[in-house]
Parts: sequence; structure tokens; C-alpha cells
Amino acid sequence: MKWSYMDHWRSPSPNGPIDQWQTYDSMDRFLKQVAAVGYDAIDTFDHRYFTIIDQYGSVANYQEFVQERGLERIVNTFHAAAYDQRNYAPHIASTHDNILEDFRVTMDRWSGIQLDNIIVMPATLYYDMEPVTEDKIKTTAELWNKVGAITLDAGVKLTCHHEFFCGIQSKEELDTFYAYTDPALVNLFVDTAQHCIASVDPVEFYEKYADRVTGFHFKDTRHQDLVGDYRRRPDAELMGTTTPRWFHEMGDEGGLVDFEAFMRAVVRNGYDGWLSVEHDKANKLGGDHAESTAIARWYAKNVLEKVAREEAAK
Amino acid sequence: MIRWSYAINQWKPSFDDFTRRRDHERALRVISISGFTGVELTTGTGRWEPLGNPDQLAANFGSAAGFADFVHDAALEAVSSWFFDPLLGFREDLSGPADPADPAAHDSVVSHATWFAEALAELGGEVLVVRPTASAWQRPELDDAVIDTIAACWNDVGRAIAPLGIRLALHFDFLSALRSHDGLERLLAATDPALVGFSVDTGEFAAAGLDPVAFIEAHPDRVAHVQLKNAAAVDDDDEYLRRNAEHHVKKGGGEKPVPRWFLELGVAAGIVDAEAVVRALVSHGYDGWVTVESDLSPHPPTSAMLNGWYLQHVLQPITAAS
Repeated sequence: MKWSYMDHWRSPSPNGPIDQWQTYDSMDRFLKQVAAVGYDAIDTFDHRYFTIIDQYGSVANYQEFVQERGLERIVNTFHAAAYDQRNYAPHIASTHDNILEDFRVTMDRWSGIQLDNIIVMPATLYYDMEPVTEDKIKTTAELWNKVGAITLDAGVKLTCHHEFFCGIQSKEELDTFYAYTDPALVNLFVDTAQHCIASVDPVEFYEKYADRVTGFHFKDTRHQDLVGDYRRRPDAELMGTTTPRWFHEMGDEGGLVDFEAFMRAVVRNGYDGWLSVEHDKANKLGGDHAESTAIARWYAKNVLEKVAREEAAK
Repeated sequence: MIRWSYAINQWKPSFDDFTRRRDHERALRVISISGFTGVELTTGTGRWEPLGNPDQLAANFGSAAGFADFVHDAALEAVSSWFFDPLLGFREDLSGPADPADPAAHDSVVSHATWFAEALAELGGEVLVVRPTASAWQRPELDDAVIDTIAACWNDVGRAIAPLGIRLALHFDFLSALRSHDGLERLLAATDPALVGFSVDTGEFAAAGLDPVAFIEAHPDRVAHVQLKNAAAVDDDDEYLRRNAEHHVKKGGGEKPVPRWFLELGVAAGIVDAEAVVRALVSHGYDGWVTVESDLSPHPPTSAMLNGWYLQHVLQPITAAS
């Protein structure tokens, strides 16, 4: 059982809060903290490519920097696209050529290392896609089937991560999307908190599509979206009315995700890939990324790994 | 065998911080997952010091045993040690500061030390770490009579707590009166080696311009405890003699100024060779706790995690190879 940490780091500095990409020293400290508490690897965002080239010369060089601090490798990258109905919207077929070219370029940029997955939010913001119809989901699925072929040709799985505020987030929308996508080309990346917020039970959802799942974000939330924040303009993630902080590290109090049940399901289904931990925006409301990262790993080691052993012994 | 613990003092910069159960649970979990197996407590008094003394442990956790369960639940093995400054005084029994240089205060020092040692034994600990005397600005003179009085006090304490299975370790810091007049070596000579050990705080030694490795090499049989931390600078302007040096120098940085006296292990700006310290301990067969510390850290979880990385990747390979 191997754990990877998904990059959302912020830390204090004499110049105010910074992320780890500012200097070699800030990256060194970030990686050592992640390694110290027992993560085996990291995930990152592929838009970091430009900083990587500027500071490390190549993606492979950056991975060596990671490995020198006791981490195995970079497992997954998240393709955080700037969706726009004018030129980059999966449900609008006229934008597909642009998107496909973006993935050809991206896979070439990251060809210097072996990734497991490239993770995408497969739809635009909800309000840019609504009304969400079967036709729009079908058009979206057609795009990702083509993208999946491109990434697979580069040896990387395409996997879909459904933010609660994206155009494919309800149980019905998810079922339609996975019915239209090719299981050989389009996979699922289950973010426990995002589905929980969208009132989709993460355990039930995972069980239903377990054979298509290529990874997870283990993260918690204290809130479900019961007021329609998912379609809030101009933003749901940071400006929602439900809470200024949607996400928390697993192992903290007040969380809604049943991680023990989730871990048992992971074991029952024979999943043998990496387990990623995430708690994006954990610094909101006085939170602290370093502490959250340690607390989540403590919970993984002292609670979830024991549960996994129990389940495996059944 | 060296066992590694972490001092929790950095999580409580002010008297009204770090009072809630959730804070304690998270700090212990950070310490545990960073690779340490024990935690060192610091004495305190009053209801805002839940981990400060046995009465407060009982008020918050039912008993010392209740707190031990809380520590074990965080996946830590033990409370390794407790840092005790007798000049603090305790509201719990309306006792005032007890000065080891005052013969009339010895009974108070011994009884409070025993109070902590009894609880420490229940918590799985082994060492009572004490501040042996006041700061240099408070006690600029240190004649033989004063040294003998202080030594007699700590001999008495060592004798009182030994039956509990707790060792006594006198802790030298860079503001201590022992820094003047060769006080450290004189107190060492005046105390009974069978009853009184010393705690080598590497960062405090370095800030005082002393070499912790040299001390270990010179007195290996007296080392009963180690506090391993890095230092950023040497107080080479004798600012420790300044009135209220705890505020103006240690926290305020002094005239240089020094923004932060103590750093994480292994950082480029540090002046402590932690690897050499551990090699010296290993070469002399040191068998006990090494408490890693980063007091006055602006960011306790990060300090613990960075120190944990250094422990796992640099220091433990040294002990494993021995």
C-alpha cells in the first residue's frame, strides 16, 4: 500500500505565504516534510511544467530532485485546464481539436518520466454546461475517448476527477458519462470529498465503477452542497455560500466521508495502485498544510492501513 | 540504544495557546508520524497548562494513566521526560519560586521534583530534566558556597527520585548563571555522579559558544539526556548578562539581532553538527532518550517534520550502523 501526496502546499515565509515552487529551498523543505511523515511519492499539476523547466531544466531532473529527498517518484499529474466555451469546452465539439492538440503537447512535455495517470475534470463549470443534457454528456464522452487514446499511446492512463461544481457531478450525470466512454480509454479517479459534497456516496459510486478506477483523492469535507452552490456564479469552490472551506484532511474531526468503509471497499475490489492524499485549500480558516499533511498520513498509517489488513484477512 | 522523542514546548508560545484537547492530539500525531516514539513535556501551572503538571493531567485526562492512554492513542510509546524549572512556582499548592541556591527552598524543590517523577514513572518516562539555577543576569556571582548549595539540592533530588526509576539531568542553557565563572564544570564536579546526570542541549551549548561534542567526550558517564537542536548564532557579545535576557535576547534577538536562535537540524544556516553529536553518543554507548527540540519555532509542525526527515535519513542510519 503506497501513498502519494497531491501538491497543494502553502507555507509561511518572511514575505507571506508561499507555495513550494518559489525556490529550491522551499521545494527541498516541502519534499522533506512529505517524505518525513511517510508518503512514498507525490502527484503534481502539469501546469508546473514551465516552472520545472525554468528551475530544474527538465521534468526528469525535477523527479531526480524529488527522489534525492527519499520519495519514489511523481505518480500522477492533474491537467487543470482553463475551460472556456469559446475554445476549450468538452461539451462543445467545435473546441475539441484545440483540446486534443493540448493533450498531444502535454504528453510530449511529460514524456521524460513515467506517469500512471493524467487526471482531468472532464466537464466545464456546471453553469457553463447547463442545462446538462444527454447529448452534451455524449459529446463530452466522445472527446475523452479520443484524449484517452492519445494519453494511452504515451503510456499514461486518462482518468476523470469530478469536482462537485463541474458539469458532470450528479449520480445520473456520472452514469451517463461512464456509459458513453470507453472503459479501455477513460478511467475514473474517485475524490471522496467531491462526491460527498455532491451527495453521491463515494463508497457506492466506487463499488459500481471499481474496475474503471485508477486512483483516488483521499480527502474529507464537513459539508454537503444542499443549496445549489455547485452552479454558483462566478465561483463555487472559494465563494460558495455553504462554507469558505470545503476541504479538510482525513482524520480530522467533523468529516462526512466514511474512510474506513471506503478503504474496505478498496481492498475488497483488489485495487493495487497508488493511494493519493489531498486537502486542497487546507490553509483556509487558519488551517495549515504541513499539519494537515501529517495528520492525514497519521490517519492513513494508524487507522486505514489497519482496516485494510483486517479486510484483506477476511 | 538511543530512543527519539520530541519536545512539545514549541507548540505553546504563550500561556493562552495550546490549551484544547484537539491541539494536543494533533501535535502528538504530528510528532508520531514524523518518526518519534516519545514526547517530552514542560512543566507549567494553572488551568491553561493542561500538560504542565500532574494535577492538570488529572483535571484533563483523569489521571497520569489517562494521559498515558492519550499518548498511546497517538501511536507514541511514552512521555520520555519532563522539563522542570523550580523557579516557576505552582498555583496548585500555592508554592512560590524555589531557588536551589537557597537552602530553605530545598525541601520544596525535592517535593516538586518527586511529584513530577512519580507521574513520569507512570507515563513510561525515564528522565527529569531540570533547570539547575537561575539566569546569569539574576545571579552574576557564583562563589563556591553557592555552587555547593545548588549541588546539594540536586544531589537530594537525585536521591529522592532514583527509587522511582527516574534519572535526574541538569540542563544547561545559554542564559544560565552556570555560563559564568566556569559554573558548569564546577557544578559537575560538585554533584554526585551516582545521583546527578546532565542534559546536553546542543543548541544551547552552541549559542553559549560551547562544543556539545567536547562535553560528551569529556563527561560521557554524566550524560543522562540529550536535547538535540540546531542554533543559528553564538551569543559572543555576552548579551546573556543583560537584564531580562529571556525577553530581550532569547525572544527579542538581542542587539545583533538574531531573528531566531534555534533552527531545525541539518539546515545550512545552523552551527550544530548533529551528526557528530550522535556519533559521539554512539561511540560512548549512550543508552537513553534523545529529545529533538525546536523551541521558539514559528511553525511547529514544519519543524517537527523537517527534524523527522533528518532523523530518518541522516541520524538513524548512523545509529543503525553502530
